[in-house]
Amino acid sequence: MNLTADKPIAIPVPLRPGALPLARGFVTIVVSTLALLVVCALVTPSAIAPGALAGSLPFAAVLAIVGLAQMLVVQQGGFDLSVAGGVSLAVVIATHVPAGENAALPGAILMALGCALAAGVLNGILVGVLRLNAIVATIGMNALIYGGVFAVSGGVPRTTTSLLAAIAGGETFGIANAVWFALAILIVVCFVLKKTVIGRRFEAIGANPRAARAVGLRVRLHQTMAYVCAQILYCIAGLLIAGITREPTAFQGDPLLLPSVAVVVLGGTSLLGGRGFPISTAIAAFFLNQLSQFALAIGVPYSAQTIIQAFALGLGIAVYSLRRPRRVTKGAEPIKPFEKQPDTEENKNEAIVP
Amino acid sequence: MRSPAATMEHQTVKAGSAVPVASAPTLIRLRGISKSYAGVPALSDVSVTFQAGEVHAILGENGAGKSTLMNIIAGAQQPDAGEIEFAGRRVVSMTPETAAALGIAISYQHPAVLDDLSVMENLRVALPAHLFAGRPAREVAQEILQTMALDVPLQARGDTLTVAQKQLLEIAKALAIRPKVLILDEPTASLDQDSTDILFRRIREVVQSGTSVIYITHRMAELRQIAHRVTVLRDGRVQGSALVAEVTDQDLLGMIVGRTLGSTFPPKASPNVADVVLKVTELSGRRFHNVSFEVARGQILGVAGVAGNGQTELMRALAGLQPAAGTVVLNGRTLAPHDLRHRAAFMPSDRHTEGLAAGLSARENAAVASLQKFAFSGLVSRRREVAAVSAAFGALAVKAASIEAPVLSLSGGNQQKVVMARALLSEPELIVADEPTQGVDVGARAEIYRILREVSAKGTPVIVNSSDATELEGLCDKVIVLSRGHVVETLTGTDVVEARIVAAAVSAETHAAHSIPRAAPHSKWRHIVQTDNAPTLPLALVILALALFGYSKNPNYLSAFNLTNILTLSTALGFFALGQTIPLLLGGIDLSVGPLAGFLVVVASFFINEGQSTGAIVAGFVLMAVGALAAGTINGLLIRFANFTPIAATLAMYIAIQGCSFLLRDGPGGYINSDVVAAINAQIGPVPVAFFMLLAMAILGEVGLRRLRSGWRLRATGSDEDVARRIGVPVDRTIVLGYIGTALLTALGAVMLMAQIGVGDPRQGVNYTLSSITAVVLGGTSLRGGRGTFLGTVLGALLLTEVLNIVAFIGLSQTYQYVFQGALILLATVVYSTVRGRAAMQDE
Repeated sequence: MNLTADKPIAIPVPLRPGALPLARGFVTIVVSTLALLVVCALVTPSAIAPGALAGSLPFAAVLAIVGLAQMLVVQQGGFDLSVAGGVSLAVVIATHVPAGENAALPGAILMALGCALAAGVLNGILVGVLRLNAIVATIGMNALIYGGVFAVSGGVPRTTTSLLAAIAGGETFGIANAVWFALAILIVVCFVLKKTVIGRRFEAIGANPRAARAVGLRVRLHQTMAYVCAQILYCIAGLLIAGITREPTAFQGDPLLLPSVAVVVLGGTSLLGGRGFPISTAIAAFFLNQLSQFALAIGVPYSAQTIIQAFALGLGIAVYSLRRPRRVTKGAEPIKPFEKQPDTEENKNEAIVP
Repeated sequence: MRSPAATMEHQTVKAGSAVPVASAPTLIRLRGISKSYAGVPALSDVSVTFQAGEVHAILGENGAGKSTLMNIIAGAQQPDAGEIEFAGRRVVSMTPETAAALGIAISYQHPAVLDDLSVMENLRVALPAHLFAGRPAREVAQEILQTMALDVPLQARGDTLTVAQKQLLEIAKALAIRPKVLILDEPTASLDQDSTDILFRRIREVVQSGTSVIYITHRMAELRQIAHRVTVLRDGRVQGSALVAEVTDQDLLGMIVGRTLGSTFPPKASPNVADVVLKVTELSGRRFHNVSFEVARGQILGVAGVAGNGQTELMRALAGLQPAAGTVVLNGRTLAPHDLRHRAAFMPSDRHTEGLAAGLSARENAAVASLQKFAFSGLVSRRREVAAVSAAFGALAVKAASIEAPVLSLSGGNQQKVVMARALLSEPELIVADEPTQGVDVGARAEIYRILREVSAKGTPVIVNSSDATELEGLCDKVIVLSRGHVVETLTGTDVVEARIVAAAVSAETHAAHSIPRAAPHSKWRHIVQTDNAPTLPLALVILALALFGYSKNPNYLSAFNLTNILTLSTALGFFALGQTIPLLLGGIDLSVGPLAGFLVVVASFFINEGQSTGAIVAGFVLMAVGALAAGTINGLLIRFANFTPIAATLAMYIAIQGCSFLLRDGPGGYINSDVVAAINAQIGPVPVAFFMLLAMAILGEVGLRRLRSGWRLRATGSDEDVARRIGVPVDRTIVLGYIGTALLTALGAVMLMAQIGVGDPRQGVNYTLSSITAVVLGGTSLRGGRGTFLGTVLGALLLTEVLNIVAFIGLSQTYQYVFQGALILLATVVYSTVRGRAAMQDE
C-alpha cells in the first residue's frame, strides 16, 4: 500500500523431488573406514585377512546393534547407561536358565526379551514421563538390572548351549550369523525410521521436541519408546554374545558401554539429540572394531589401542562440533533485534543432557 | 485519568526540570552509532546525548532499536560503527566491565535474577564487594531491598519470586551502586501502581543527585509522568528529540508511526459478511484475561499491542498449546480451548526453537504434521508425500534447491513458507500465526500476506499477531489491541490504521495491579525445604537407621573394625564425589573421574615404593597433582573452547586416560610404600584421620559455595549461563577452574585409593565414575546445575558405602547389593524431583 511491489511475485515452479543428500557424517565415516582398510591392506594385510575378519566381525556386529540402540536414545536427547546391565542380563539368562539344555533355550530367550521389555518401559517412564535426568535414571536402572544378573547367575560364568552357539556363533553363506542379525536389525531400524509414520514422528521429535509439541505430536510417548527399543536391542546383542562366546561372564556388557556411545558420536549423531544416522553408526562400529584389529596387528599393546580410540573419538567429535552450528548458547550471542524471548522455563524442562 | 497528586507531582517535575535541563552537563554522547544483525540494520547512524540530572525517555515501536541501543551503552553489544563518549572522553570499546567501572547500571526488561540463588546471593554476586564492606551484609541487603519496598526474605530463592518481585530486585540492584547513568528497560511492564509510584520516586531522587536516567518505554502516559526529554526511534533511526514539556502527544505519535514497509498487501475482505466462523468468548489464561472476539468468513484478525502484553500467550492458547478457560465456537461447534490443539495450525514466532526441526529437510519439516494423511496402515507413501509437499511448495512459491534441501539452507522467508506449508498440509480449521513475517525479506512478505489472505478467503479463520502495526493495518480486517492482557480496543474496517493501533497500545493505562498477585507470605518451613542442604538431615537419619538395623542383625556391625572399614571406603568415594559435585553444580558432568583416579595410582606406583628416597616419594605426589591438573584443564578447555559437550569431552578423556594407565602398566605392579600407606590410613580411635579431612574439605567447600564470590559464581553459572554472563560472571574461567577443581579432588581420592589397593593396577578406579555420580545424586545435588551441596555429597558417599557393606555383613547375596543401590538412587531422584517440583509449582 505504501509502495508499489518492488519485486514481481514469483511464479510457482514445482520443485523437483531431488535425490536424498548424503549426510556428511556418513561421508566422513565411510571415507575414514576406507582409508583404514587401505592402510590395513598396505601395512598389515593380516588384519584384513579373511580369518581375522571372521574372528572380529561378530564383535563388530554386536557393537553395531548396541550402538543402534544407544543411537535411538541419544536421538531423543537422552543417554542410556543401562547398556551394560541390559546386555549382561540377556547373556546370563541365555546361559544359566537353559543350563546347557537346548530345549529350554526358547523359553530363556522369551524370558530375556520380557525382562528387557520391562526394563525399557521402566526406563522410559522414569525419563520420558517422570522427567528424571536420563543419566541418573539409567545408572539406577543399570544397578537394578545387575541385581537381576546376580539373581540369575550368582556372578559366575556358564557354558553356553550348543543350540545358541550354532545360531549366534554359526555362519551362513560364509558370513557369521551375528553379522546377518546386525544387518537385519539395521534394515529394520532404517525402515521404521524412514518409512513409517511412527518412525518419521520419532525423528521429528528428536530433531526438535518443542516444534513437535507445537504441531501436536506425543513427545513423551515417543521418548519412552526409545528406551524400550534400546533395551530390546541390548537383549538381542546379549543373546548373540551368549552364542558367540563359549563361556560368557556375567559382566559381558560392561565393556560395551563407552564404545556404544563412541560409535553413535562417530556416526554423526549429536549428543544433544536430533537426527540419527543408523547406517553411519553401524559403519562406525566396524571402523572402531577394525581400528583395534589394526592396532593389534601392528603390535600395539592393548593399552595404546584405547588411546587410539580416544583420539578417533575426539577427532570425530571435533569434526562434527566444528561444522554444526552451536545449539547451546555460548560466547556473547547477539541479542536478536526483536524484543521477544523464547519461554525459557520450557527450555529448561526439555533439557535432559547436561 | 491521573490522580490529582500525580498531576501535582508531574507539575513540580516540570517546574524543577526547566532550570537544570538547559545547563546540565552531557554525560553520554553517542555519535553515528550503527548496528546490524545478519545484514538487517537495527540501528543506523544514531546520535543522542544524555545529560546528567535528567530522565531521558527513548520511545519507539517494537523493533525500533531501543533495546539494541541500551545494550550498546551497557557494553553488552558492540556497535558496527560510531563512537561513545562518556563525560567528554571517548570510550574505545565499551564492555560490561568498562560500563560498570564508569558507573553505568542497567535494569533489564527480563530481570537478570538467578533462580537457584537466594535474594541475598543474587545481590552479592552481582554487586561490587565494597558495597558490603564494613557492615553486616544482611543490613546492606535489607537496605537495598527497601529502596524498592521489596518485602521478601533474604534467604528466599530466586525462583520463589514473582515476575514483579524479580523486576523490583533487578531495579534495586541497579540503584544500589549509585550509578552515574541508570538505564531502565521497560521497568514497569509487570509492576502494579504502588511499585510504579515507588520507582518514580526513586528516579526523581537519583536525578536530583545528578544521575542521568535513560528510560525505555512504550507508554506515553509514563513518559509524561517521569521524563524530561524524549527521543523517538523508528526503524533504527532517530526521528527526533524534544523536551517532554514542549511536545504534544500528537507530535510524538506522528514520530513513532509511519514505518515504511516495502511490500504490498492483498485486497481486504468485503466488509459486509455476517457469517461468523470463529467466536471466542471470555478467554482467560496466563497473562491474558477475558478476551472476546469474532471472526467472520474471509476475515483476518490481527492481535496488536506492545510486546509482552499477553499476545504471545493468547496465540498459544488459541492454538491449544497453553491452558485457558473460556469458550470457543469454531464452525458452529462449541469447543473447550484445549480441543483446539488438533484443529488449529500454529505458526510460532520463533522459527528456530519451535517452528522447524533444524536437522531435517524441507520435505520432512513440511510433512511432519500430516504424515497420517500420506500413509497406508502406518507406512508413509513416499509418492503421495512428495506429491503433496511439492504441490504445497509450488503453491507457496517456496524457493529451494530441492524439496530435500536441509531446511536451514533456505532463506528466512522460505523457511517461514515451509512452516506455512506444514500448517496448510495438515488441513487445519484455524490458523494461528504468531509474527508470521519476522525475519522475512520484503519479497517473501508480500507472498505470505497473499497466502494468508487466500486461506482466509476459503473460509479458514486466520489470526495474526504482529508487533508491526503497519503490517496489521495492511493485512487485517479487524484488530484487537492488548494491554497487560486485556483487550483495550477493537478496531474494524476503516479504523484499522497504524495510528489508531499504536495510539491504543501506547496510551493504555491499565496497570498490572490485579493481573499479577503478590506471592503468598513465605513460610519458614518452605525455605528450609528449599535450601540446598535440606537433604542432609533426612540422609543422616537414614544412615543412622541403617546402622542400627545392621547392629540389630549383627552386633559386630558397629564394631570398631567395621566402622573403620566403612569410613575408609567412604573417604575415597567421598573425595571423588566431592569432585563430581562441581561439574554437576555447573550443569555438566565428569565421566573421567574414575579412570583418572586409577591412572594417578598407577603413576604413584612408580615413585611411592618401598625403599624409595623421600625425594622420589614427594615427586610421586607432585606428579599425581600435575596429572590431575592436566586432565582437568584439558576437560575444561575442550568443553569451553572446543565446543564439546561435557559428556563427549570427558568420555574421550575417560578412554584416553584408561589407555594411558595400560600404557604405563599392563597389570598390577609397583607396591606402594607401607609407611606412606600407614600414614594415609592413620586413625583417631576407629575413625580414619582422612575421614576428618574429607569432612573438613566438605565444610570448607560448603562455606565457599554459600559465602564466597567464587561459590556464587559457580552456582550462578550452573543456574543460568546467560544471566550469569549479563551480571558479569566470568563464565568460561569459572567452568574451566571447576573442572580443574574436580580433577584435584579426584587426586585426593586417588591418594586414598592408593592406600587401599596398595599397588598400581590399571584396572582399578574405573567404577568410581558411576559411583561418584550416584553419591552426589543421593546427596541431593540437582543434575540441572545451580543447586547442590558438598555436605550432602559426603553423606551420599557414606550411605552408598554403608548399603554395600550391610548387604555383605548380614549375609545377603550380591544381588541385593545391586538392587539396593539401584533402588536407592531411583528413589532419591524421584523424591528430590517431586519435592522440588512441588515447591516450584506452588508459585504457578
